[in-house]
Amino acid sequence: MPEAAIGERAATLAEATREAAALLQRSRFPVIAGLATDIAGAEGAVALAETVRGAIDHVHAAAVLSNFGVMHEAGWMIVTPREARARADVVLLVGAGLGSFLEAAALEQPLTIGVERGRHVIRLGGEASNAADLPAMLASLRALVAGKSIAGATQSLEAMAKTLNEAGYGVAVWNAVMLDPLAIEMVCGLVDDLNARTRFAGLPVAAACNGAGVMQAIGWHTGLPMRTGFGRGRPEHDLWRFDASRLVESGEADAAVWVGGLDADVPLWIGKVPTVALAAPDTRFAAAPIRINVGRPAIDHDAVLFDARLGVLAASPARAASKLPRAADVLRGITLALASPC
Amino acid sequence: MLSVLRGGRVIDPVHHRDAVGDVWVEDERVIAPPDAGRVPDVVHDVAGAIVVAGGIDIHSHIAGANVNTARLLLPELRGNDFAAVPMAREIGRLYARMGFTTVVEPAISPEVALQAQIELAAIPFIDKAILTVIGNEDFLLSLLRDGESDAAIADYAGRTLAGSAGLGIKVINPGGAAAFKENVRAFGLDDVVPRYGVSSRAIVQAMQKAVVALGIPHPVHLHCNNLGLPGNVETALATIEAAGDLPLHLAHLQFYAYGREGPRGFSSAAPQLSEALARHPRITADVGQVMFGQTVTISSDVLRQFNGRRGGRPRKYAIMEGEGNGVGIVPYRYRRTDFFNAVQWAAGLELFLLNADPWRLFFTTDHPNGAPFTAYPDMFALLMSQSVREQWITTVPAEAMAVSTLPSIKREYTWPEIAIMTRSAPAWLLGLDDRGHLGPGARADIAVYRPGGDIAATFRSAELVLKSGVVVIRKGEVVETVHGRVLTVRPDFDQAIERRLAAYHDAVYGVPHTVFDVPAATFTDRLERVPCRS
Repeated sequence: MPEAAIGERAATLAEATREAAALLQRSRFPVIAGLATDIAGAEGAVALAETVRGAIDHVHAAAVLSNFGVMHEAGWMIVTPREARARADVVLLVGAGLGSFLEAAALEQPLTIGVERGRHVIRLGGEASNAADLPAMLASLRALVAGKSIAGATQSLEAMAKTLNEAGYGVAVWNAVMLDPLAIEMVCGLVDDLNARTRFAGLPVAAACNGAGVMQAIGWHTGLPMRTGFGRGRPEHDLWRFDASRLVESGEADAAVWVGGLDADVPLWIGKVPTVALAAPDTRFAAAPIRINVGRPAIDHDAVLFDARLGVLAASPARAASKLPRAADVLRGITLALASPC
Repeated sequence: MLSVLRGGRVIDPVHHRDAVGDVWVEDERVIAPPDAGRVPDVVHDVAGAIVVAGGIDIHSHIAGANVNTARLLLPELRGNDFAAVPMAREIGRLYARMGFTTVVEPAISPEVALQAQIELAAIPFIDKAILTVIGNEDFLLSLLRDGESDAAIADYAGRTLAGSAGLGIKVINPGGAAAFKENVRAFGLDDVVPRYGVSSRAIVQAMQKAVVALGIPHPVHLHCNNLGLPGNVETALATIEAAGDLPLHLAHLQFYAYGREGPRGFSSAAPQLSEALARHPRITADVGQVMFGQTVTISSDVLRQFNGRRGGRPRKYAIMEGEGNGVGIVPYRYRRTDFFNAVQWAAGLELFLLNADPWRLFFTTDHPNGAPFTAYPDMFALLMSQSVREQWITTVPAEAMAVSTLPSIKREYTWPEIAIMTRSAPAWLLGLDDRGHLGPGARADIAVYRPGGDIAATFRSAELVLKSGVVVIRKGEVVETVHGRVLTVRPDFDQAIERRLAAYHDAVYGVPHTVFDVPAATFTDRLERVPCRS
């Protein structure tokens, strides 16, 4: 298997690195996107973005930043999945998209601390219901929890409010992919309200492709999350301005580096601008002038990733170690080649 | 490479040295003056300047998920003189330019140790360490509830420290976070955690015994109950008594220096605390000085942060609960014109100025909780100059000064006292035999300050800083970027605890207990093991 490809022809990693550097050198404003990678890959992407004064985005930025936005604007109170699994006697599932997380976090299994309590799992909105109704339901629920009587309160909502108020340690779970930011803010407001009388915490399901981890890594290097640009020589964050797909579609970005390795769908805009694609060998691209094969984190090489089950960064060993290079190393190679163009 | 710092006033309290002279450096170490025949490769003319070992900060929140979340909570404040949570690379530079060469991140829970160590690796210049937080986990509280042996508790503490690559044990409002999960909203020294029947006092004393049994040089580093509450000097005094004959380090003591005197029921009780410190030689403390300005509070005292979450300036918060201690992040602005903030500011200075033993009281702001560490230069000026203090006192409310003894204090810290407090003593407290002094064999972490009229300016921008013998700062600017070491202890413990922890984590959390261990490959900076005492 070739290390890389330039256009149709096979190339070595060294050649592709030089070509990638040249491509970026020619561009005015590149975007480093995808970032479906491990912590080291995210750090490498930040270093490259700073060097080329480009922008940095993550494939699941919208979901990550929905949660981030609520924390940033209003604040929140959350708990780790492990502690929820051990202790939460009431689990309020808000909205859809929670099935696989529920199972991974064993939230329908019995408690392991405070086992004298049973576990009640209740659902507000869900796969079958209309997401647009959720804010209204949450508003009603908050009012009922606060002891107000409201018009149109259903028996099930009243029962739900009673269960929440009687929780020993309750947890409200949501998936930001399925909820809009205002609904998330209302869930967090409900959690805050409940803490006046009892104990409750939120539990946002972590975004796929190490979104939460990548946000942390960009954070400690720049003080900002993804969707950040370095065009003015210092990092600036803007949810709309530094959206990779918008940058490419509008023509503001004239080159891209796609960083893959974890399981991310390749976006449609790849190929609209000259692109360097770092991807696992079996990833298909419609058109990428430069393509470099990289390992899959925690499969081809060990990796530090945000673990959704644990709620923290964790080190994972390689399940099937291979010689494929790490995205972090390839990105460093490109950054170095830019520093010394010969 | 042989170099010499020539003709400065060399202050090294460990070696009773305070005189004009030379300091010789070969490669990474300070050496005795060589034979007359040897010619140095580099001569630094530091005549008229002060030469001391590099500064050591024993309590500063600089890395980890808590710190990083605080960064992400307040991006809008960046650039407006907001140094509460600088980026990783800036932290190293800002410390180095003030002549600090070792910094301890004092609060990392074991499950987030990996992120903390990765972030520390991104901080250049300084040597660093973490203190591992225990004291609120179900496993430990169960051991205490079930009357398990001291040895089992020590094994648990030692193993947890080893997995996180910590330098010492940190205990934060012990029992408080666990009690909060049971809907308890206040927690003092003799309060008991529901479900376990264990008091805060019992947890502290168990940890003190464990640290001694494990031979960890640094004492239990304790964040007491009731932080920030009026009248909480009683908690600090009771905790000092509870420590008995074993060593105990009290974190950010200023936040416990509050009485209830005066028309507003809030006063400085620093003199009482200072007097208790003097009477208990086994107690050490760092001040946690408050300075005015915008900052953010980052604390694993999740109960305290929850209770204070509506007082944030700007008004928002982030609270996370986990296996043991959680974290709370609440932005805060200390205002010069605010009565309470002014009393806090005064109380910290009183603790410094009333203290007789510079070996037992340490120079911190509990960065960023009292103030960003970039406030240190102004703090040095306040300690060393009564006229600077008098100027500041005219700018704060008179009613605050009426409930503090600060206006009457004339003392001015001397350079040797500053050197003890920020160099010699911290090295001793952490068990670092080759730092904090300038004797032969010392690591060549050296800071040179050129005193002028403005004390703060002197400390803000060191004339020369060497890290492991390499010149890194000249006149406050970076000359060369280096990376420091990560300092850890590795106490012995009975491996039987591994089986217990494996079974426990599997049953309670459904994950292997080893999943939080920091792998060796994480340490791109060199790991340095500080010996345990037998």
